[in-house]
Amino acid sequence: MNFLQRLLEDPVRFARIKRWFYAGLAVAAGAEIVLPHIFHGGESHFSFEDFPAWGALYGFGSCVAIIVVSKLIGKLWLMRREDYYDR
Amino acid sequence: MTVEWLHPGLLLILGAWLLPFFSGRVKRVAMLILPAAALIDCWLMEPGTYGVMSFLGQELVFGRVDRLSLIFSYVFSLMGFLGMLYALHVEDDSQHMAALTYVGAALGVTFAGDFLSLYVFWELMAISSSLLVWLRREPSAVAAGFRYLLVHIFGGLILLAGIVLHWSETGSLAFGDMGAFSGGMAWALILVAFLLNAAVPPLGAWLPDAYPEATITGAVFMTAFTTKSAIYVLIRGYAGTEILVWLGAVMAVYGVVYAVLENDARRLLAYHIISQVGYMVCGVGIGTALATNGATAHAFAHILYKALLFMGAGAVLQSTGLRKLSEMGGLYKTMPLTLGLYMIGAFAISAVPLFSGFVSKSMVVAAAGETHREVVFLMLTLASAGTFLHTGLKLPYYMFFGKDSGRRGHEPPRNMLVAMGLAAVACVLIGVFPGLLYQHLPNPVDFLPYTLQHITSTLGMLGFTALGFFLLLKHLDPEPTISLDTDWFYRRGSADVLALVRGPLARLEFGFVGESYEFVIRRPVLGVANFLRHLDSRVVDSAIVGVGRSTQSFSQVLKTMVSGNAQHYGLIMAAGILGLLALAIFLQ
Repeated sequence: MNFLQRLLEDPVRFARIKRWFYAGLAVAAGAEIVLPHIFHGGESHFSFEDFPAWGALYGFGSCVAIIVVSKLIGKLWLMRREDYYDR
Repeated sequence: MTVEWLHPGLLLILGAWLLPFFSGRVKRVAMLILPAAALIDCWLMEPGTYGVMSFLGQELVFGRVDRLSLIFSYVFSLMGFLGMLYALHVEDDSQHMAALTYVGAALGVTFAGDFLSLYVFWELMAISSSLLVWLRREPSAVAAGFRYLLVHIFGGLILLAGIVLHWSETGSLAFGDMGAFSGGMAWALILVAFLLNAAVPPLGAWLPDAYPEATITGAVFMTAFTTKSAIYVLIRGYAGTEILVWLGAVMAVYGVVYAVLENDARRLLAYHIISQVGYMVCGVGIGTALATNGATAHAFAHILYKALLFMGAGAVLQSTGLRKLSEMGGLYKTMPLTLGLYMIGAFAISAVPLFSGFVSKSMVVAAAGETHREVVFLMLTLASAGTFLHTGLKLPYYMFFGKDSGRRGHEPPRNMLVAMGLAAVACVLIGVFPGLLYQHLPNPVDFLPYTLQHITSTLGMLGFTALGFFLLLKHLDPEPTISLDTDWFYRRGSADVLALVRGPLARLEFGFVGESYEFVIRRPVLGVANFLRHLDSRVVDSAIVGVGRSTQSFSQVLKTMVSGNAQHYGLIMAAGILGLLALAIFLQ
């Protein structure tokens, strides 16, 4: 039993990891919103970067867009059976 | 070639031939000493021009040493060392020789100051890397190796055509900034050849086709040299070419899209090579000091973390024999070290703070920002989220966690773990101390990766990408499929063209073209020939026969006179003389 097994296979510990993950997300988004108001950096290249929690929103949007759009393209067009080239 | 300058590529290419003469421990030491010596050779090199030879009235420069070629030579020879260490347990001399030749040829391209020597090393790279695919010695690998070689020979011929055209137009073989010839035919041909090696779509399908078919250790070498030497020559010749900005940005997203669909672990990583090289191509296209620095730094960091990722996937393949994500799962129990080392590479490629990608990729993205290219900036950032999604989440999730496949692997041999460990150390070192890398970049660096905004927005982006991943997890299950790419044109397209030629085209030829030929050409020709034959037999022949017959009858007449009897001739002569005398008397 290595460290990871103990962590992942015990439901109590796994639930704890999940809570830490969501807490981490909240901290990351919060830091993005709050910190620029405390330390004025002013180093963004575009105005949209100053939108509150820009990184978090764009990251989430990108992730969803990539999965949905790619799967659509794949299902409709690109994905073939594994023996496609052998037939 | 001067004695005080030793070409590190030549050292590896010639040194490779020594390996078969050694065995056991000596051979393993030699395998490590050769790339280590090349690394030290590059490290001790001073900028300047070395190894100049005269050929066909042109100067061939084998040693153009400046800041740009030096930093690429460092990472190439370092990667050669890590790759040989990873392959140390493999008992196959031909693989090691091919790998060392491949590294040496990449160093040859790096130091080439003229097109001709560049071309020679360029082709040597293609041939030696094909061997790394073939030497897996399986039918699918042999087929993929042939496709790979044919594509690269095609690219090499385009390069040669461009070089010859450039030579005839300018009278010079020197390889430098091609900006002055922008738009010309030679400029375009050479650019296309470079883009083919950089795996820019639609010329890049050879990469995900061939790399997953290579040997476990050979694939680690292949990730490093072909595309990154192409980035080097692009920086050298084509910095600031606008089309590269867009090709690079599209490429970064393209690789990510294909990675979603991919089921083969090493092919997924191969599509991420395309995506990452997209950042570099984009940086070359932007062409500012920051952008070319970014392309160079990203190439450096990329070689190390991508090798680490391929080493991790290779370790899983080696110990379980599995290459498809849909068949893996649950390996964290038996391969925790491999998992940990793989994750360092995954964090580096995903540009997590304190890992190498964070300090290199951001230079290219910042260069896009500085030059006010919103769309490119957004595309590169999106691809960045996609990179973390696949390399940092999807691949490790399905490979090491996920549904337990019941397969039990074991950690790879120690030399593989040490190679992975060293690559991981390099990824972290560059991330924590970016100055180590920045001080060797071609242009002076005025860039701070660790700003508050950069760190917070990166962490936010990565964290919420992970959230999106876990929410959509059930849609991401790998499926046992393959994806169409532009290699379709030469894998299926050519077969379909052949079927078209053999079926309908052949019938059309026989039925229509053949019949028309019968009426338009064959019959008139036969008719004319028939007429000429008649003419010949009737007129020409009768004339000749007539001449023969009259000659014959004339000779029948003559025959009575020309008897061959001397008394007869004497009688006729006497009669003649008497006749003449009578005539003379009579006429007087």
